[in-house]
Amino acid sequence: MTAVETTETTTLQRGFVGQSVPRREDRRLVQGEGQFFDDVKRHGMGYLHFVRSPYPHARIESIDVSAALELPGVYGTLTGDEVAILTDPFFQIAADPGGQVRDYALAVGKVRYIGEAVAAVVAETRELARDAAELVVVEYEPLEVVVDARKALEEGAPVLHEECGGNMSYTGVWEWGDVDAAFAEADHVVKISELHFDRFNSTPLELDGGLVEYNRGTGQWTITTNNQFPGFAVIMMAPAMRVGTDKLRIVTQDIGGGFGNKITSHPQLVACCLLARKLNRPIQWTEWRTDFHQSMSHGNERWFLETEVAVKADGTMTAFRTKAIDDAGAYLRYEPLGGVIWSQVAPGMYGWRNIRVEFTQAMTNKAPVSPNRGYSRMQHLWFTERIADIVAQELGFDRVELRKKNYVQPGQMPYETPNGCVYDSGDYPKALETVLELIGYDTIEERREEAASRGKLLGFGIGSTLDSGTNNFGQSQLLNPDLQFSGNNEVATVKLDIFGEIVVTLGTTPQGQGHETTAAQVVADILNCDVDLVHVRVGHDSYWNSHAGFSGTYASQFAVTGLGAVKGATEDLANQMKTLASMVFQCPVEAIELADGFARIADNPDAALPFMALGAIPNANNAGFPSDPPPMNARFVYRPAFQVPDKEKKFGNLTLTYAMQIHACVVEVDPETGVYELVDYAAVDDCGTRVNPKIVEGQVMGATAHAIGAAMFESFAYDEEGNLLTPNFYDYHVPHTLDMPPLKTAATESPSPFTPLGTKGMGEGGGGGIHCICAALQDALRASGGGIVTESHNPYHRVWEMLREPERSRGKVQVTGR
Amino acid sequence: MSTTPITSQVVTVTVNGERIEKDVPARRLLVHFLRDDLDLTGTHVGCDTGSCGACTVHLDGVPVKSCAVLAVQADGATITTVEGLAGDELTPLQRSFHEHHALQCGYCTPGMLMSASALLAENPSPSEEEVKVALQGNICRCTGYWNIVDAVVAVGKGGAA
Amino acid sequence: MTCHEVGCDRIGAMLLREVAYARPATVEEAVSLLSEHDGARALAGGQTLVNVMKQRAASPDVLVDLAKLDELKTISVSGTTLEIGAMATLTSIIGSAEVEVSRPILAEVAATVADVQVRNRGTLGGNVCLNDPTNHFPPLLVALGATMTIRSSQGERSVPADEFFIGVFETAVREGDLLTRISIPAAGKGTGDGMAGVTLGAHGTYVANAAASVTNGAWRVALGCVAAVPVRASAVEEALGADVDDASVRAAVAGLGATLDPPFDVHASADYRRSLAETSVVRAVLQAAERAER
Repeated sequence: MTAVETTETTTLQRGFVGQSVPRREDRRLVQGEGQFFDDVKRHGMGYLHFVRSPYPHARIESIDVSAALELPGVYGTLTGDEVAILTDPFFQIAADPGGQVRDYALAVGKVRYIGEAVAAVVAETRELARDAAELVVVEYEPLEVVVDARKALEEGAPVLHEECGGNMSYTGVWEWGDVDAAFAEADHVVKISELHFDRFNSTPLELDGGLVEYNRGTGQWTITTNNQFPGFAVIMMAPAMRVGTDKLRIVTQDIGGGFGNKITSHPQLVACCLLARKLNRPIQWTEWRTDFHQSMSHGNERWFLETEVAVKADGTMTAFRTKAIDDAGAYLRYEPLGGVIWSQVAPGMYGWRNIRVEFTQAMTNKAPVSPNRGYSRMQHLWFTERIADIVAQELGFDRVELRKKNYVQPGQMPYETPNGCVYDSGDYPKALETVLELIGYDTIEERREEAASRGKLLGFGIGSTLDSGTNNFGQSQLLNPDLQFSGNNEVATVKLDIFGEIVVTLGTTPQGQGHETTAAQVVADILNCDVDLVHVRVGHDSYWNSHAGFSGTYASQFAVTGLGAVKGATEDLANQMKTLASMVFQCPVEAIELADGFARIADNPDAALPFMALGAIPNANNAGFPSDPPPMNARFVYRPAFQVPDKEKKFGNLTLTYAMQIHACVVEVDPETGVYELVDYAAVDDCGTRVNPKIVEGQVMGATAHAIGAAMFESFAYDEEGNLLTPNFYDYHVPHTLDMPPLKTAATESPSPFTPLGTKGMGEGGGGGIHCICAALQDALRASGGGIVTESHNPYHRVWEMLREPERSRGKVQVTGR
Repeated sequence: MSTTPITSQVVTVTVNGERIEKDVPARRLLVHFLRDDLDLTGTHVGCDTGSCGACTVHLDGVPVKSCAVLAVQADGATITTVEGLAGDELTPLQRSFHEHHALQCGYCTPGMLMSASALLAENPSPSEEEVKVALQGNICRCTGYWNIVDAVVAVGKGGAA
Repeated sequence: MTCHEVGCDRIGAMLLREVAYARPATVEEAVSLLSEHDGARALAGGQTLVNVMKQRAASPDVLVDLAKLDELKTISVSGTTLEIGAMATLTSIIGSAEVEVSRPILAEVAATVADVQVRNRGTLGGNVCLNDPTNHFPPLLVALGATMTIRSSQGERSVPADEFFIGVFETAVREGDLLTRISIPAAGKGTGDGMAGVTLGAHGTYVANAAASVTNGAWRVALGCVAAVPVRASAVEEALGADVDDASVRAAVAGLGATLDPPFDVHASADYRRSLAETSVVRAVLQAAERAER
């Protein structure tokens, strides 16, 4: 049993925290004065264009850059042969066999997915770099291709990485409780032969890239980029480049969306670093949209095969077992972490105590996978929602009642799941009631009839989802016991400058989540001053020494880790300020209060020092003190209290907080064409204490939009030959304004007992949208054949197929009982 | 007297009220001309198929995607970019975006503002539907569009009946 | 607008090859530039061509910009014919009083093409000359019985829409030719037009479409998206009479799908397209019939 630590939540003056303080980021952004990395220019910089493979799997016979080098305006090139000499392969998270993958900044010897970079050309202008890339002649020997993860695991499948002996990167059995007994005692067993979560991602509007400068005198690289996880980036880059991490200065300012998709740009950044050094000039690289679609951060595609759910007569779901096959694409950049991260929510929102998942990950000739909003939990939560929905439908239970009955109940919080994760707080049944009310659940049948009179099939669906946040990186050891990663951290500094200005630095890399604004709110409440007096520096810079190994913005944690660090640093500063004031006034520290921009004696407010005076003393006027005046400068590392999980039992607390979202939607299906519309939509979220409600709501809306896209339109579809059929926004349709349904949102607040502010990380709960759209479609289809939704991605043609051949999908479900 | 095709020429454009003359290759896209040659980096690039609208500017008064126009095509034209919207004060539209939390990462925002300001110039009180149609060519991946539509409708004080 | 031309799955994107550019002041000049230079192409709105050139799927050597040719931008009614200049933008078509009165379906359909930015630059001429199978106007103009006027150094010729669309991205406009206007019969009493289909998202690319037009019981029905050129559904046209209702239209359309050989792609299997084609025809026909009665 994991020890559960409950942290006292500081009674913050709810002044600015809790208010929808308008964002300070906006002023520059609405004027086009944001600074995204591609906006930055350096004298003499060279533009980089990658030469990419047109083959999904091939041996590289030769690369001839001579014609490219002859083109006037071309500064130089880089090929895999050079990379293999100048760098070591990137560190692999996986144990063997996955650990044997050799991954470099450019393809070395082989290409393994269409669009893989094989060479880089640098030239005076973007157009010339593009022209020169066409002149690079690469000879390939095409190899057999495998695009289906299930086939990739079969004997005789083409092997991507010979060093691994096969395409399997990780396999493990995750089992808790007594699964066999639960099935023996079940009144019903619902079997689902196949469920499939499709491959897509969040396509942030700004592409990846960097402007990389090399200082020959100091050996220092400065990387102005939009990589959203600098901690991870330098851990990957530095050993590969055989330099210390401090030689890689990472600078970000404004980032045009991340959603996890800007975590694994380290290979391209290494190529830029090598070229900056080789050519002695700054290197500018901006990814093209097609490059991104072909090569960057696809979300995990996952099969759930031979699923069985044990159910009691009263509808209690007691156990499930399944075989999960995860498709990692051609390289393991952040994988196989997806193989453990799902277990943060192993039972989903439900009270299953007996669970068995055989999880195997395979590599295929497709773009490498890396975190995508909801990373690995979304896939698993979709699975738990699908089975709840299918169980309800096939056994004749009301899907609302089945959920309420099986949800983890509020009285059980904090709730320890079968694998030792602790759901901190939340009232799921109440949230479900709230969303049902928002969407007008009691009018559904009436609306169904009305839609039928217009020839449309109406469907209603619920999608419940958890957003586990603040990772314990010790979970990586459940995949690879030799890894030396555990816990988590984030850093902040807060100081008073010489004229009393409050200056904050963060370790994070925000991409629109409003860190500057929310950090200022927290600081202002602790220092009891106006929020506009708090200046938060923009973005991330490793020169600030305001970061640690896990710094970045990913995985739903800023409200806990980032703001936890801000709170700690500000409380430290507040104590310093009071101490200094007490030194000056020669009174006890307890007598001092901070108010209205002063440190003053509470009983005698005329004895007051303005912040400016406090800042000036240690900086410029520190003589005459018998002991050192505090420096008015604080640095705090927030560390959540985690243990290393039990590797044998795969048991332990893997995430600190569990935000929750429940989505509901109404669809209308045209039975002739399979075309469907979302005609109504509601979402309820609970992320504990909300620092800035409008920002939270914005995240819920954005996640909902991503879910709608993934459910209806977005898929990275490959053909059998390994060609990506949706390589740009023309075929990969994302939702536009006219595609959006009406939306109602509501929030409940169940503060987390485990975090400094009662907040929970949030932003990734959008899987709820995929879940509820699947459920709504299945509900609509009950009136026409009863097709079962077994895919996460349901474009019109799939709905049409389910209408036309319901037996196909129905045949995947079998119910047995006593 | 026939025009001889050229591979580069001097273009004369008025950008945000300022007259500019610059030599450009015929193949240069207007968006790169604005960003790289004129250092007006508020206009953004988000795709390579003319689909996302992040590059939207006003060309002779109407919103166009500057990635689908060559700089040489703009010779003699008047262009307004996002940098040309605000004077000393933010415009009501920019303020409305701020008040309605109509931006998160801010990358699509310049394009949204250009499309919305063009709409408001010819239709001062647009309905929600009219706003959606006007913004249909601008992709956002952060907000889901709801707050953006609200922000524009609010500028028009709730729209036509 | 359209990037379906020759493999947008090419590796590498976004920047044009070197190209020469000219902006002639007269139609004559434009025509001589197009005939003098091998590999010269007319640049109309550029919404497709510039994007195609970015992908390097096509790289003309010379771009002849038609922007100065005001005579190609006019919209007027001449007798019972609506004359639309090839360079008329979709926005101008939407806002045109002449179109509204003479053949409103053109404005209705124009308003569903992509988005405002594309419509501000995109032209009717560009849309038809590209002949992307998913484009809105080729099947519509075939259904309306439009006529295209083409100018060359040899003079002017008229090509009926039925003969204008020839093959994969190929039309009757050859090297050295310039499409100058599209003529559409004005709709009189007893005429009704309809267009229906399925798009990828609102105002998105068509997956299947059909356009139908009836004048006093005589039907023209054209399908897009199922072949390189719009397909006249002649059997359907013959089976349809003056009086149509849901049942009789469905009866007339039954079996149409089996006669088609549509492509399959990531958005639709061949079977799905066949089914959508039939449904689109039914809906377009019913819409046209309903409007003919007004």
